[in-house]
Amino acid sequence: MSIASTNRMTPYLFLAPAGLVLAFALFYPICYMIYASFLDWNPSQRIGEAEFVGLRNYFKLFGDDAFRESMGVTLKFAAVVVTIEMFLGVGLALLLDRNIRGMSVLRTLFILPMMIAPIVVGLMWRYMYHPTVGIFNKTLKSWGFDGIPWLSDGSWAFASVVIADVWQWTPFIFILSLAALQSLPASAIEASKIDGASDWQQIIYIKLPLMLPVLIVTLLLRLIDSFKVLEVILVMTNGGPGLSTEILSLRINRTASEFRELGEAAAMSNLLLIVLLILTFTMFIYNKAQDARAARLRAVEEEA
Amino acid sequence: MKANKTKIWSAAIAVTLTYTGVAYADGHTADVYAPYEGTTLVVNFPAHPHYNAVLEVLPEFTEQTGIEVEVDQLQYLKMRERQTLELTKDEGDYDLISYVVFSKADYVYADQLENLAKYFMNPRLADPNYDAGDLIDGYVANIGVAGGEKGYLPGPTGSLFGIPFGSETSVLAYRKDIFEKHGIDVPTNYNQLLEVACQIPELEPGMGGMASRAASGHQASHAFLLHLAPLGGRVFDSEWNPIINSPEGVAAANALKTIVDCGPEGGTTFGPAEAAASFQQGTSAMFMDSIAFAAGFEDPSKSTVVGKVGYALHPEGVRRGSQTGGFGIGIPSNAQNKEAAFLLMQWLTSKEQDLAIAMAGGNPSRFSTYEDAGLNEKYPYSATFGEALKYADPDWRPIIPTWGTINADIGTTMSQVLTEGLDPQEALDGVAERARAVMDEAGYYTWQ
Repeated sequence: MSIASTNRMTPYLFLAPAGLVLAFALFYPICYMIYASFLDWNPSQRIGEAEFVGLRNYFKLFGDDAFRESMGVTLKFAAVVVTIEMFLGVGLALLLDRNIRGMSVLRTLFILPMMIAPIVVGLMWRYMYHPTVGIFNKTLKSWGFDGIPWLSDGSWAFASVVIADVWQWTPFIFILSLAALQSLPASAIEASKIDGASDWQQIIYIKLPLMLPVLIVTLLLRLIDSFKVLEVILVMTNGGPGLSTEILSLRINRTASEFRELGEAAAMSNLLLIVLLILTFTMFIYNKAQDARAARLRAVEEEA
Repeated sequence: MKANKTKIWSAAIAVTLTYTGVAYADGHTADVYAPYEGTTLVVNFPAHPHYNAVLEVLPEFTEQTGIEVEVDQLQYLKMRERQTLELTKDEGDYDLISYVVFSKADYVYADQLENLAKYFMNPRLADPNYDAGDLIDGYVANIGVAGGEKGYLPGPTGSLFGIPFGSETSVLAYRKDIFEKHGIDVPTNYNQLLEVACQIPELEPGMGGMASRAASGHQASHAFLLHLAPLGGRVFDSEWNPIINSPEGVAAANALKTIVDCGPEGGTTFGPAEAAASFQQGTSAMFMDSIAFAAGFEDPSKSTVVGKVGYALHPEGVRRGSQTGGFGIGIPSNAQNKEAAFLLMQWLTSKEQDLAIAMAGGNPSRFSTYEDAGLNEKYPYSATFGEALKYADPDWRPIIPTWGTINADIGTTMSQVLTEGLDPQEALDGVAERARAVMDEAGYYTWQ
């Protein structure tokens, strides 16, 4: 082998270990899942014994009312939860972006909910929502109101899981937005102050646009996470009453363990993966477009 | 010289025989167990009050036989997941498993449980004093036998794959003090039961009539099926046609709705633990569920109703039919010490040990245990439970591989009836239609 070709090979040689790890850790499981979604596979069988059924699992899913309903619940849950969390998280960050004594202590306190294990969060809220001994209904009753059927009525149960998720994950958005705010260039904000911008104008025209790249990544992370939330809802309602809180990951879990249809569960996971991929690509393309637009503007300025 | 040798041999044999005789008289059948001495059996048990009691008597087995037992105890749903993986291996780690009743269909169908005939036929292993006729027949039919009628019940073609161990039936627990205070008679049929259930909240403000499971999914389905059998209904007819939407099915759904509506507050989210807690804390006057909860009601550290609880048979609808469920034990086909596992299984379910486990707080598998005077003295409700078991219905729910899907559908639909006011007839028509599709796909109508 000539020295030149060896030289050309060198970079690939160095890349090879990473490539191998990637192939085994990422592509193998995904391919396995995709293959499994074409099988009629019951957990008592080995994968080799399972029957190949082509796209039957997918067709079955599209005709399944319960799956469609659960997809709907998931989309609704993700949209509602992420919207509320973004408003609250960014709002809190804007309010607390100042020099307060003991800010680091406050910050740690704020992110506590995120650090609690999801099963515990689920249990905690389930007891707080308890119809007779829970803190909410006890308080309401002591004020002379009627108790609310937090977890026993379909719409209230949905609201209840949204509240719990907002409680747990708003701090995540808060902490990232705060970091973004504190790293904004002081010069731009000072310039706007000199130009006489009010606080609102500073927020809308200076701070939010400059924070946007971080906010988009945050939004994406939360969106992906909210599609996959499982434990909190599992513990709080187990998908009930009826199917009102049965999000997709719960349905996947039940399909695999309760209905013993591994193939169908794999097909559902693939559909969830596709939805998440579409979301990620949309964000990615949006970011690219933004960059391109900025570059074009810069070019126009330079020409002028 | 030769004569001497013969003499020595006959003496030795005589000594052995005498020793054996003594051993049998003691209940120590050491030579049966001798070939397996030093073997270590790995068993998989659920975390459950019955099995906690079993752990108390297990050391006795090792002492008597020299066979070591290692116990892997798991939460019961986790246990099923682990077993699903273990049983597909070539060589399994478990020699004896405890399985939930609805696993019977899956394991037997996948050929993962040993047929017990060859062990009971083996004179070296089978104890002639085992008295299988004393085992509670409803349990054996429900948990142990497969391959007979409908595939999952006993019948001319059936055989035994497991022995009930930690099985349960349903009884009605009620508050004696409340019933006496208002002069209410203990309900013996469904009309009385529903009437009393709705009478209680009026007589005792703040107290629910009957605490019942009702949470979406398995719990609501369980609660519905509990009323379906005594009210004369079934999920399928003998040709697997769904008949859950029959008038009997609608009556069962209405009964459940009445019970939940007149039950304690927030009852629509109850699982068995919450329902039992409600009864234990005195917020409901009746509780109709598994006998396994009885010990908890008499435990002063958890219960505020100690000594106030009476027990009666599951009320009669058009027939008597209390549920059957819980656990059985079987030997996995891929076990490595099958014969020793059989000996342990036989020992655990023998008359002596069944009684010992019951005294330690377990659920008996034998009629004779329920009749035991010592047990009745310690647990006064034992006689009622023994009586209830005579009416235990092994066919109150089908045990077939497709049951998981249908059960979940019944459960979510029933939850909609309870919380969203869905009409029971419409709800059950939907369940029947979807169940037919599931059964069709699984090939149940191939011969029609």
